[in-house]
Amino acid sequence: MNFAIKTEELGRVYKIRGGKKSEPRELIALNRVNIEVKPGELFGLLGPNGAGKTTLIKILTTLLAPTQGKAWVTGLDVEQEAEKVRPRINMVSGGESSGYGLLTVRENLWMFSQFYGLDSGESNRRIKELLDVVGMGDRINTKSSDLSTGLRQKMNIVRGFLTDPQVLFLDEPTLGLDVGAARDVRQFIRQWVDLDPTRTLLLTTHYMVEADELCDRVAIINGGKVLACDTPSRLKHDLQSDAIFRIETTPLPGRDMQSLQSLPGVKQFIHREKDDRSVMEFVLAEEQVFSAVINQLSTEDIPIHNFQKREPTLEDVFVNLVGSSMSEVEGSGRESGS
Amino acid sequence: MDTSGITPHKRVMERAAGRGFWRSFRTATWLGWQIESNWTDPFLFAIYSFIKPISTAAILVVMYGIITQGNFESPIFTYMYLGNAFYIYVGAVMAGVSWAVIDDREHYKTLKYMYVAPINIPMYLCGRGVAKFIVGTISVLITIVFGMLFLHLRIELAEVKWPLFFLALIIGVFMLAMMGLILAGVTLLIAHHVWFLGEGVAGALYLFSGAIFPLEVLPPAIRWIGYVIPITYWLELLRRSLVGEVADAFPTLQNLSNEQILGILIGLTIIFTVLAIFVFRWAELRAKELGLIDMVTNY
Amino acid sequence: MSDRISALGQLRAKKATGFMLSIKTVIARAYPRVIGAQREKSWMFFDVFLPMLAVSAYVFVYRAINAPKEYIGFVVVGGAMTAFWLNVLWSMSSQLYWEKEQGNLSLYIMAPNSMMAILLGMALGGMLMTALRAAAILALGSLLFNVEYEVASFWQLFAVFLLTMVALYGMGMMSASLFLLLSREAWHLANLAQEPIYLVSGFYFPISSFSFWIAAGASLIPLTLGLDAMRQLVFPSGPALGFLTVNTEILLLVVLSVVFVLGARFLLVHLEKLAIREGRLTESRR
Repeated sequence: MNFAIKTEELGRVYKIRGGKKSEPRELIALNRVNIEVKPGELFGLLGPNGAGKTTLIKILTTLLAPTQGKAWVTGLDVEQEAEKVRPRINMVSGGESSGYGLLTVRENLWMFSQFYGLDSGESNRRIKELLDVVGMGDRINTKSSDLSTGLRQKMNIVRGFLTDPQVLFLDEPTLGLDVGAARDVRQFIRQWVDLDPTRTLLLTTHYMVEADELCDRVAIINGGKVLACDTPSRLKHDLQSDAIFRIETTPLPGRDMQSLQSLPGVKQFIHREKDDRSVMEFVLAEEQVFSAVINQLSTEDIPIHNFQKREPTLEDVFVNLVGSSMSEVEGSGRESGS
Repeated sequence: MDTSGITPHKRVMERAAGRGFWRSFRTATWLGWQIESNWTDPFLFAIYSFIKPISTAAILVVMYGIITQGNFESPIFTYMYLGNAFYIYVGAVMAGVSWAVIDDREHYKTLKYMYVAPINIPMYLCGRGVAKFIVGTISVLITIVFGMLFLHLRIELAEVKWPLFFLALIIGVFMLAMMGLILAGVTLLIAHHVWFLGEGVAGALYLFSGAIFPLEVLPPAIRWIGYVIPITYWLELLRRSLVGEVADAFPTLQNLSNEQILGILIGLTIIFTVLAIFVFRWAELRAKELGLIDMVTNY
Repeated sequence: MSDRISALGQLRAKKATGFMLSIKTVIARAYPRVIGAQREKSWMFFDVFLPMLAVSAYVFVYRAINAPKEYIGFVVVGGAMTAFWLNVLWSMSSQLYWEKEQGNLSLYIMAPNSMMAILLGMALGGMLMTALRAAAILALGSLLFNVEYEVASFWQLFAVFLLTMVALYGMGMMSASLFLLLSREAWHLANLAQEPIYLVSGFYFPISSFSFWIAAGASLIPLTLGLDAMRQLVFPSGPALGFLTVNTEILLLVVLSVVFVLGARFLLVHLEKLAIREGRLTESRR
């Protein structure tokens, strides 16, 4: 089968320079990554900061060479055939500040369209239409230095779609956008892929909801490795046999939770302290284990305010694979480079 | 709740305001040095520090050598060489202070955060110029030592008037920092492509300051400009303190004693300081009105 | 929204390739420079008036040491040509470093255009300011200091100027490829290159003042030969102070043009691949 994107044992190691007196050390950003994305697919790469998502995108967009393995985009080797890959792709990164402040939105976009060989007239027409789609039609003649962060990001998103790529890479595209704008952009992304079966889109995000809503398939990545890859529903379905409960109690700062964590049948336990309550999430091997949890809380004299059983989310899938939530992984500062 | 250990808010703020000048200057000096000294290759830095000032001096030396058939004994050579050597400070300090605005605004994009923080911005900018002053000092020393070793530049160390030299140097560097502050104010209001403003103005003042030729060479219509620029007096004082007899060979400022020149230098420095304060404050206000503090215009 | 999306879905973009793509790229990259110069006009003062004063300083140095009159002309012509050197150094070669910092470099590399077209666009876009600066210095300097010219051959002069520009910008593209690999040291290297080139290329004095081998080495920089030939063609005493004959210098400029343009093409491709291998294209080390 011809894949839009394919990687085989893909790896990337960075040499990190330390201070002036220390030796450089190695950072494994990607480790034997194997993914296959079919044409027409909206593929998601979900993982915390530093998981390797951006490194993977840089390799696929011919900006970075892998240190091991191979990658193909539209059947072309990204290393050996980079010139042939480039006319077929485009990329948008979240929070980028590309373009030139003194130029207007239209001028910046027109300039980038010319680098892909678009006809000027057609380019201007597409710019107008795409800006209307993202709700920026009235800012077409605004200097880009006068745009807010969110509007600048919308302009960047337009830049990505403007050249009608066969494969589009979006690296955290909704970063900096408000809720409404992010929703509009997600809707547009979905429709853009659906309209033409030859278009493929690879999206990286650390927002679970985004991956869940948008993507046909999701690869969960952490520490440079792909931990799982399937449709969101199948990934969650694998956890269906487990029971997930959320319990809220009075605040328990600094309390040792080992007794709860080590109860038989507790597969995963996450504890978070908020201002006015303590939140615990349990992934249990079976529902019957829940009564043991309640008994233990009662034994330890911990008042329960609220509890609920909920359906598994991609966050739960992540926790199940990694052992911590995404925010905990980011907070612990585990690096794998991205 | 026991609050006896907590200093009342007002006293904290008063103390912070008082230390604001020194804190701003000190932190900015540290930052400026981190940026300047962040060379990946110290050897390259050494070459840079040596070649750049020597090349600038060498242009003049070659020009002079061609025309005078190598008459390096003439006082005009010493006049030119020393003036050019110390003029390095003009580019370094003036450019260093004004460049910080461009660097922070366009490249590091931290200028807006500096304005939000409780620091004194003029002191911050002056602090950022300190690193360039240090690098400039290395260049000046290299240029003078090179001249003494290889180009017949005669400076009798025993006859140097050291107190006058250091006093003039300190006042001059402060004066240059104030001129740099004026330029920094202008820089707040203009786009990125005039990033060379500090060096450009320094290059222009090269003409009027008597750095490399006596002011008498200039046409009378523009000669007066040299007499109102403090750099002219500063360079003259430095030359007089290092090589007194060279200064005697030229009519410029010959009628003025060292004390009179020092007095004029101090007076002009005060004037430029006041001007710097007003210009910078006005430019700051204007930049805030126009929303230029976080302008990014690189193209 | 769905109507508009549908309309977009049916429009397949037609894209130029090859030579037309390069032309579009050159025009598009020149555009920000040209427009920027129109929208922010303060450069006229800083790019014309201030350099004129700096050039005048060297004129007065020659007057102070009683130099022959033609040396004033040498300074004016050399001062005018510094505009092109600075354009190549700061607006082309090291510009890729700033593009990297802005995040534009990765977008340029990822696009199907050629980096040479991007660099040419940068150079041509800056040409307005550069040409104006050079012309202003030449015109003002000649007027103020009563410089007289006697052009021996306009065709040779035009050929020299054109070849010098081609070779110079070719050299600029070669050095731009090196800047793909560099980070902050790019700025320092560009800064370092400024004055030594003024010295060895003889911007303010004839390079025949140097020994043959120093002058020959300096001739690798296109402006050295270009300036020397131009002076020989516009000043009566020029040939007496020239390094090589004008025809020899024209021939050498042709060779340099070919070498530098081909070298630029080669280096841009290979160093881009090296930068991609080492992950230098998107790093930001200030």
